[in-house]
Amino acid sequence: MNTNPNDIRRRLLQATAAAVGTGGLARHASAQPKEFKIGLMIALSGPASLFGPTQRACADLSAEQINRAGGIMGRPIRLLPADAGGPPADTAKSAVRLMLEERVDCFIGSHDSATREAVVTTVKGRTPYIYTPVYEGGDCSANVFCLGETPPQQAQPAAEFLVKERNARSFFLIGNDYVWPRKTNEQVRKYLSQFGGKVVAEEYMPFGAPNKFEEIVTRIRSTRPDAVVITLVGADNVNFNRTFAGFGLAKDITRLALLLEENTLMGVGAENSAGLHSCMGYFANVPGDAHQKFKAAYAAKYGEKAPQLATIGVDCYAGINFAKALFEKAGGADAKKLMAASEGLAFATAAGQATMRGRHVDKDMYLAECKGTDFAVLRTLKDLPSGTACKA
Amino acid sequence: MEPVALALNVLYAVSTLALLALGLAIVFGLLGVLNLAHGELIMIGAYCAHVVQSAGLPYLAAVPLALAVCGVLGWAVERWLVSPLYQRPFDTLVVTWGLSLLIRKSVEAGFGMSFKSLTEPVSGTVQVLGTVYPSYRLMLIAVSVAALAALIAWYGRSRTGVRLRAMVGNPELARAMGIPVRRYSAWTFVIGTCVAGLGGVMIAPLVPVQPFMGLDFILQSFFVLVVGGLGSAVGLLAGAAIIGGTNSMVSALFDATSGYLVVLTLAILFLWLRPHGLHARA
Repeated sequence: MNTNPNDIRRRLLQATAAAVGTGGLARHASAQPKEFKIGLMIALSGPASLFGPTQRACADLSAEQINRAGGIMGRPIRLLPADAGGPPADTAKSAVRLMLEERVDCFIGSHDSATREAVVTTVKGRTPYIYTPVYEGGDCSANVFCLGETPPQQAQPAAEFLVKERNARSFFLIGNDYVWPRKTNEQVRKYLSQFGGKVVAEEYMPFGAPNKFEEIVTRIRSTRPDAVVITLVGADNVNFNRTFAGFGLAKDITRLALLLEENTLMGVGAENSAGLHSCMGYFANVPGDAHQKFKAAYAAKYGEKAPQLATIGVDCYAGINFAKALFEKAGGADAKKLMAASEGLAFATAAGQATMRGRHVDKDMYLAECKGTDFAVLRTLKDLPSGTACKA
Repeated sequence: MEPVALALNVLYAVSTLALLALGLAIVFGLLGVLNLAHGELIMIGAYCAHVVQSAGLPYLAAVPLALAVCGVLGWAVERWLVSPLYQRPFDTLVVTWGLSLLIRKSVEAGFGMSFKSLTEPVSGTVQVLGTVYPSYRLMLIAVSVAALAALIAWYGRSRTGVRLRAMVGNPELARAMGIPVRRYSAWTFVIGTCVAGLGGVMIAPLVPVQPFMGLDFILQSFFVLVVGGLGSAVGLLAGAAIIGGTNSMVSALFDATSGYLVVLTLAILFLWLRPHGLHARA
């Protein structure tokens, strides 16, 4: 018996290699269809992780439904979640790992735009990337497909409504300091001047910092605008709106928030939401048979403890359904074929059906006013174009 | 410009910051334990308020609940995690950091990730010196000032305060003089965690209550101590005034980004040029 440690190490290595080898063989022999791997980039940590449970629940539901019906091109879906709640560079690193080690078939991302830019420049179109949440529009990078609401769908109708129906003329813009609020506000300015409103101030708060809002609310009070357009996200959105109402401004100044869904509104609270508006492509209470069916399936799977449904969350459900439709129509993973197949592609969303045009989605939008912690839909705007038309 | 409102904003920023940093100041300043779970104790206080409010009880009932929860937690943590590690600052840092993760995840498991919205126990606004200011914030200023004043007076004048200072100054000598150092350390830690919990109860109706909220407070509290210095009440107030006041004023006159820039620059300058802060104990 040779007890030289180096020898033992070598033999151990050989044995491991053999075990791994036979494992691989066994897998081949059983001829299981290859899994369809989806890198699911959602916020599992950090300030956006509030959306995480809904994102995960909706993605799981969609994958389960599709797998029961035979998967994507006959291959069962396997979701590989990665955290997109930290710094953009970290998410980009996870994307590289998923791409090289796991060889994912596609990415689905529901996270902020700063992270999207980092992922797009890292992945460089080598793997299809389906970006699902509300964003600033205009991203035509190769092999990227955007499902979310864009400013022409959100800001345009909302600006028109505030100017014409709420008689707002002067506007104060406040947002977090990163790409989505800044680019969205460029377009908000355009729409406001188009309808006859005027921006009196535009301010940005650091993104991901422990912000407090007493100073800015005091400044808004001395500026006396008719309306405030808010592009703050998550906890900052909650904090601002609570402070705003706390200073007694809610009854005099109309508010429009461009990322306000059920979870955030719950944080804002019923006593702070008077005069607060939102315009999104989904609310948990919008009518429709397809939506009722979706909600029933969601309730059946998760029961009482189900995470609150909201637009950030159901976007993942749509994303996976879109991936199925896209790959099956293209018949493979070739980027050119996928982009060509995406044009005019119809797919199921939580609230019904949507169609992709120019690698963006024309969709129904809902303009709502907050009543307590509920959204009362004032207008339903049918089939609004995204305003971005990328080459197929 | 609204000078009165701006002044009240500064006062609010300074007094709440001093109150929220107080727990850390006690534990770090007197025991030398940089408690990285300080923010999570504030978060626990806020969740106590949430529990009380959703049970339909009066808001003040959150005070005994937070005292009980944070007190027991503080006692257990001191007894089993921190006390073996006194005089080992890096190890206590790692232990309390781990503790902060554990608390955050436990609260997440129990209450979920969603924002909890608390109603202000005193709502509405009042007219002060010609400006309209939220009543609850005014009350918070008053309570913070009163609590800090009481604590400072007690620490400076009472017998226990003297013994505490003796213990901090020279633990061996204090023990030789018959001061029960072990018990005093435990009590100091427990008081620190309780004060953090009470801070959480008070701030809860004004901020988004969620498992990650503690992270917002730990860094600011740490800056206060960096600037003000450890182990003295004057240092705590000076630190809170400089950090909170500067941030509030610069945010009001320019914008929030400049506010952070100035605060970070100040913290770096202090660490560099005056590592013991403005008013550290002798």
